[in-house]
Amino acid sequence: MTRREFMDELGALLGGLPDKERLDILADYTEHFLMGVKQGKSEHEIAESLGNPKLLAKELLAGYRIDQAQSNASVGNMTRAVIATISLGFFNVVFVLGPFMALIGILMACYAISVSLLVAPFGIYLQYGVPAPSHERLLLLFGSLTSLGLGGMLGVGLLRLTKWLYRQFLRYLQFNVQLIRGK
Amino acid sequence: MLVLAANHDRYGYELVDRISEKFHIAEGTVYPLLRRLTQEGFFTTYLRESQEGPPRKYYQLTEQGRRYMNDLILEWRIFDRGVNQIIKEGLGYDEA
Repeated sequence: MTRREFMDELGALLGGLPDKERLDILADYTEHFLMGVKQGKSEHEIAESLGNPKLLAKELLAGYRIDQAQSNASVGNMTRAVIATISLGFFNVVFVLGPFMALIGILMACYAISVSLLVAPFGIYLQYGVPAPSHERLLLLFGSLTSLGLGGMLGVGLLRLTKWLYRQFLRYLQFNVQLIRGK
Repeated sequence: MLVLAANHDRYGYELVDRISEKFHIAEGTVYPLLRRLTQEGFFTTYLRESQEGPPRKYYQLTEQGRRYMNDLILEWRIFDRGVNQIIKEGLGYDEA
């Protein structure tokens, strides 16, 4: 593979990245080729020892996606980071996708509990109206307050837990990218 | 990588060269690693003209990078000592 072929292939594979990032990456490899040629190596030799552009592109994409998810926390960015990491190898389908789905499932279930606790009092009120006997009215009032309180606290706790898990999971992705590379 | 750039700034090719002398790796994978270390704030980079040829991108170790390097070295020493001890105990002689 000549320098031209290597750079064209890598450039095409990195098409999903913003121009600035892509050009910066390509500049690194161009510099590497130029230096290598100056040391008396052939372009073929250099391309050979750099490795497969497909694998390099996957790794570079995963690195970029993880970085994006770190600086801009969002579900979309996290999903892209997870997908990019999974594409690094079959190993990751099990060790990344598995835990990711499990965490999402558990979090969704907890959020559902929190929301139902918050909504339940209104549901009861809408369904049955305010009961006439005063002791039942008090029961409804305190019951509602308890439910709202628990739901609210659970919700706040969950938001914090989600943020924390988000950061930890990204670190795990990073660790995973390194692990695959074997360094 | 951090250690290689510890005493003076290095450019990419130099780092790749040093690493591939010792380890059999696809040389291209060094660059993603350098990018990650830079994104994490362990390196800063700058371009400098060379006498002949194109400008080179130099990697400079930051204070944060130096701390991280020292942590890793310590971790490695502990690991190394542990493994050597197990080899010694298991085989009855010192591998090193």
